[in-house]
Amino acid sequence: MNSGKSIMNTSVVSADTQMKAAGKKFQVTGISNGLVSGLTYGIYSTLVVVASGYNPLVSAAGILAAPFVASGLNDLFAGIWLLFYNAKQGRLRELGRTLKTKPGKMLVIGFLLGGPIANGAYLVGLALAGAYAIPISATCSLFGALFAWIFLKQRPTKRVVLGMVMCVAGAIVINFVKPEGAPNFTLGIICALIAAVAWGLEGVFSSFGGAMIDTDVAVNLRELISGLFALLIVVPLIGGGIKLLGGTLSAPSPMLWLAIAGMSAAISFVSWYKANSMVGCAVGMSLNVTYAFWGVLFSVMFLGQALTPTIVIGSIVIVLGAIVVTMNPLDLFRKGDA
Amino acid sequence: MLLPSRMAVLNHMFDKDEVDVKSVMAALKDDYGNEKQFNEKMYLDHLMALEANGLAEMSSYDLNENGDLVMKYRITDDGKSTVEKYVDKRYRVA
Repeated sequence: MNSGKSIMNTSVVSADTQMKAAGKKFQVTGISNGLVSGLTYGIYSTLVVVASGYNPLVSAAGILAAPFVASGLNDLFAGIWLLFYNAKQGRLRELGRTLKTKPGKMLVIGFLLGGPIANGAYLVGLALAGAYAIPISATCSLFGALFAWIFLKQRPTKRVVLGMVMCVAGAIVINFVKPEGAPNFTLGIICALIAAVAWGLEGVFSSFGGAMIDTDVAVNLRELISGLFALLIVVPLIGGGIKLLGGTLSAPSPMLWLAIAGMSAAISFVSWYKANSMVGCAVGMSLNVTYAFWGVLFSVMFLGQALTPTIVIGSIVIVLGAIVVTMNPLDLFRKGDA
Repeated sequence: MLLPSRMAVLNHMFDKDEVDVKSVMAALKDDYGNEKQFNEKMYLDHLMALEANGLAEMSSYDLNENGDLVMKYRITDDGKSTVEKYVDKRYRVA
């Protein structure tokens, strides 16, 4: 009774306080998820390279077979890890339910664009234009914001645009190396651009009612569909693809690394989608772009990548860009509560 | 087959003035109550994610008798048109 009275007296204040704390927690969780998605995407990118360094992937003929086998297996592994995760949450039934709905079907179109199509174009672009393909692909956040603006009427603020431009500029600086004898350079750039557009469009397809879909379920479907499509449809179309897939499946070392890479990718996508739904697509995407920084860092640490001034400067620019997208840096200098 | 649960939450909100996580769960208990995912954390997640996507908005908040924060949500116009466009008619509440 006494305590009831004291709650009455303070209820308005403490409800406000609790509410502010809850809102702040939501924001912080969203931003942390975005950062984790970038970090784990960097780990995933590095580990796929590690896995590709083992036979039979390293000695595969042609430029297409190895990347598609590696990325298809990686996605399939990620999908399987996510099945375990969702089973633990008691959410497995949601996968079938989601596919039955209109938004779910729209998501699948987006997954095919962002999974096999964008990934495939990106890998071909990498093979033809070398590292130049990476900054081009990083423009996907620009396309994402552009399409969101056109189709979804989500108008980005000037600060968000500035931050995104910085992210892309940083990616360009990092990868500013002359192509050495790239035979089909222009075609490679076009492929990377196709990848960027497809990744940007994927976000749009995820928005036709996709906000009603649980992101952990959506990302599970994405990885499964992307992996199965790559392995069952794309790989058989590539010369020597099936043979390479069979050889890789029976090779323990690359399979182990791909399984770990798949887990990093799974964590990355879950946290990326979560960030998108908590702090918005533009912020989520830009935080995810910090993968370029982490990917370079891990390559320097574990893969013997040389540390050059462009890599250091570019990485810093990307991280600063991500911060500008996330918050107004001037707020750091303003004292007192918001 | 049932709707995916987040979609079911928004669908339920369509003709309600205001909901909180407990009232949503009470309404969906018959269909989803026996599932492991049927817990307050997950359903509050659904409401907050719908809010972050502009399909719902917080209408009020207060403390309950235990001093816990209770957030009430209502569907937005965007949310209503999303339900009308993308939720199959046979599932709709109104």
